[in-house]
Amino acid sequence: MTQLMLQCLLPILIIAFGIVLSLLLIAWRRSQTLILIFTLTIFSVALLASFSLFVNLASDIQVTTLVKVDSYGLFAFMLVLIASIAVSLLSSTWLIHTTEVHDEFFILLQLVVLGAGILVISDHYAALFLGFELLSISLVGLVGYSRDSEFSVETSFKYLVLSACASSFMLLGIAFIYSYSGTLSFTDEPEILTNISNSDSSVGNVFFYRVGFLLFMVGIAFKLSLAPFHLWTPDVYQGAPTPVTLLLATVSKIAMFIVLMKFWFSQAIFVETKSSDENILFLMSIFAIASMLIGNTLALKQQNIKRLLAYSSIAHMGYLLIVLMVISPHSVELAWQSALFYLTAYVLATIAIFMTLQLTQYNHHNTELDVNDWQGMFWQNRSLALLIIVAILSLAGIPLTMGFIGKFYLLNVAVKAQQWWLISVLIIGSGIGLVYYLRIIFVLFSTAIKANNVNEKNNPKELLPLPLTLTPAMNFSVVIIIILSVLLGIFPDLLANFLVKPY
Amino acid sequence: MSITLVMCGLLFGGALAWLLEGIKPQSARWVSLLTVLVIGVYFAIALNSTAYDFSTLQLLVRVAWIPSFHIEYALALDYLSIVLISLTLFLALICVLVSWQEINDKVGFYYFNLLASIAGIVGVFTAVDMFLFFFFWEVMLLPITALIAIWGHEDRHFAAIKFFIFTQVSSLIMLVAIIAMSFIHYQQTGQLSFLYQDWLILDLPLSLTQYLMLGFFIAFAVKLPSVPVHSWLPDAHTQAPTAGSVLLAGVLLKTGAYGLIRFVLQLFPQASLNFAPVAATLGVVSILYGAKMAFAQQDLKRLVAYSSISHMGFVMLALFSFNIIAYQGAILTLVAHGLSSAALFALAGMIYSRIHSRDLNNMGGFWLNTPRMGGFALAFCAAAFGLPGLANFVAEFLSLLGAYQRYPILTIIAAFGLIGSAIYGMVLFQSVFHGKRQVKPQAINDLSARELLVFSSLLTLLIFIGLYPNSLLDFFQSENIKLVLNNTAGVTK
Repeated sequence: MTQLMLQCLLPILIIAFGIVLSLLLIAWRRSQTLILIFTLTIFSVALLASFSLFVNLASDIQVTTLVKVDSYGLFAFMLVLIASIAVSLLSSTWLIHTTEVHDEFFILLQLVVLGAGILVISDHYAALFLGFELLSISLVGLVGYSRDSEFSVETSFKYLVLSACASSFMLLGIAFIYSYSGTLSFTDEPEILTNISNSDSSVGNVFFYRVGFLLFMVGIAFKLSLAPFHLWTPDVYQGAPTPVTLLLATVSKIAMFIVLMKFWFSQAIFVETKSSDENILFLMSIFAIASMLIGNTLALKQQNIKRLLAYSSIAHMGYLLIVLMVISPHSVELAWQSALFYLTAYVLATIAIFMTLQLTQYNHHNTELDVNDWQGMFWQNRSLALLIIVAILSLAGIPLTMGFIGKFYLLNVAVKAQQWWLISVLIIGSGIGLVYYLRIIFVLFSTAIKANNVNEKNNPKELLPLPLTLTPAMNFSVVIIIILSVLLGIFPDLLANFLVKPY
Repeated sequence: MSITLVMCGLLFGGALAWLLEGIKPQSARWVSLLTVLVIGVYFAIALNSTAYDFSTLQLLVRVAWIPSFHIEYALALDYLSIVLISLTLFLALICVLVSWQEINDKVGFYYFNLLASIAGIVGVFTAVDMFLFFFFWEVMLLPITALIAIWGHEDRHFAAIKFFIFTQVSSLIMLVAIIAMSFIHYQQTGQLSFLYQDWLILDLPLSLTQYLMLGFFIAFAVKLPSVPVHSWLPDAHTQAPTAGSVLLAGVLLKTGAYGLIRFVLQLFPQASLNFAPVAATLGVVSILYGAKMAFAQQDLKRLVAYSSISHMGFVMLALFSFNIIAYQGAILTLVAHGLSSAALFALAGMIYSRIHSRDLNNMGGFWLNTPRMGGFALAFCAAAFGLPGLANFVAEFLSLLGAYQRYPILTIIAAFGLIGSAIYGMVLFQSVFHGKRQVKPQAINDLSARELLVFSSLLTLLIFIGLYPNSLLDFFQSENIKLVLNNTAGVTK
């Protein structure tokens, strides 16, 4: 373990030490502001550390056989940290309204981030499983954190049971893959895998590899909520406290997708390469197509915003799977850039929507916010409504926003790999998606839908009790997110240049 | 000559209108009117003072925009874009004038959306980097959708969603084709490029261009619109506020035709030629279907909307005849239809503002109270069914004349559309202005000075172009256009 390796692990180590210190802090004094500030400090310091590492990183660095630090992983970790900072800020407004103690919440949050951090740099099935479990178990605690909520038990049990099933399937899958390849490391001797299709008897049975892959994917697909393993998503999204839902939607998905990409590209599965396994590619396409269609279709009839976002996230993960269809090792870099750009856009939009959700929820004295509760917001609170509009347009992939550039990246990858089926489903899926995305935007603009029904024009009681009083800090962050999403949508190179590996 | 300035000016004017309306009510419309006037004058002066020869495409700006994909901010002009931009700016003026009293709610934001969509449309007509083109193509939709969804009639949300989905899905297909083209450029030259001029010199295998052409064609056919992807149009036109309908019919449909001329025919000549019989048939079907449906409508705006489908069928038929006369006819149809349908939608808006109904059954006998409006309406109906002396006659005559040389039978069938248009034109006029009076006479006032201005300016232009079509056609007789069309036609032999 050289000093360089230690440096590379620094962001993870900061989080790990932070957790220990937080435990000590709780033992010393229980104070909600103190623990919040401490958590934020830890995250910001880790963010700074990973940023300086990201800028200075000269090559991929293997730290023991377990992890490998590269710039893509670091970028993803920065995304995770940014999302977690947003989660902590939102939780503070939520926790005020509950009777729960706050301190353990933040420790669990830090544990989630630690798990995600291990996942994004893992290079070995052991590290992957470690990160996966750390993430899952702390999330179970967070999902059911507010005990007095009516859904808390159902939600956390659902998540716990399914998550445990998924990880056991994944373990079995890893075992099968190991039986074929004889190694638990992603990158070790990938040449064994190059002759899968020859079914050379000297290396293990290909059948085991395929079954192992399938089982492994069950675990990943569960976490990414890819169809047909998406059933838990809407219920858990709805039942969990809003900041935790944000955590599920961003941190857990970023980390799982990054580790999936690392695993996938290390296996050298490429479209049109003879050595690649057709069945595996086919399986991935099925996952992608099913997720895009099921996610978008089921979102159509949702009234609850969180459920709607749950289904739309299923569709987005389906879109994102397209980057795995890569024609040759030369395109891997483009695939990474596409995935990271798309994830950034997705994370930013998701944070924006959940932030608004959190802010409007308590104003409305209603934890189950419907789409219609946002009615007429544009005329009452312009900046907040603009934030949602930009975020929704970004999710729908309309130009001027980051989401469009993300979609442009995906289409570039898909066209390069000539995945016409996936492209058609993507287009159909986006078309369906527009129905519910536009509905949200129209609700923001409309003033008289409900009023017409009860035949009282512009009845103020039917509207959201806005204007909200936003603190200057909140207003500032709202404006920042709007500017960022639009700026990066018009000048994507500001971000894209970061995603190019300097070495 | 700066198109960027035109677009920024429009956007800035819109933002200013939005801002000032909050400070002083009623100021937004004046600001918008002034903005459009100033921009129009600037555009005219700048055109006269440049040394460019616009008979070929002149690149005006070219700046790197997204270097990692070699995407550039590139704008170019030729006579085609100049004519269409002039039409756009003129109709923008009409739009501001017809919204003058109609819009009372969220006025500032309304004018912002109106001017923003005009800016986007100007961008569409000038962008030559295909990514930039796509960007404008999509961005102009947002304010137009907002216009329909916020200030539209009773079913506005449904209409707006339908409109947006049709255009969005079709343009995503175009985006895929654009990306595929840039990759072909990469394969052939080793560099990504989205620039139109770079694509023109590519050597494309026919097997591939067929699909790429189709990708572009679908997007433009939806916008045009052509049967069978027309169904968004009646809803969107009917539900939009008057200015929205004017904008949709007068300018937005022209972006589809512009795309066909500029991109489909020029980038994929051979593929278009192979596809031409299908496209021409679609055009003829649109002509007859549109006329038939227009005749059957009870809703005034829906009637005019279907007549638009019919007129745009002529454009499609003419463009895919690969003939200089038909080409001129198509361009003239664009302008003539832009003016006449704008006038008819403005008429529908004025009637709506008086009796709050678009249903033809609630109208009738208006002539007694509104002889001036009736006179203008008769003239515009006559324009719609192609009365000689008005612009539409020349346009449709040239289109049919040119198309006859290539598709004699189809053209004969298409000519029946003219009879259809006479029928629906007369139905429109008769049921509004003749017959038994349905409403109290004091409810219907004759045209105000503002409305008179709108109608007379539109009619003057229609008569002027109708009597002296060469004022426009002169721009489209240069050798270059002949060259392009000959090239296209030459491929057949």
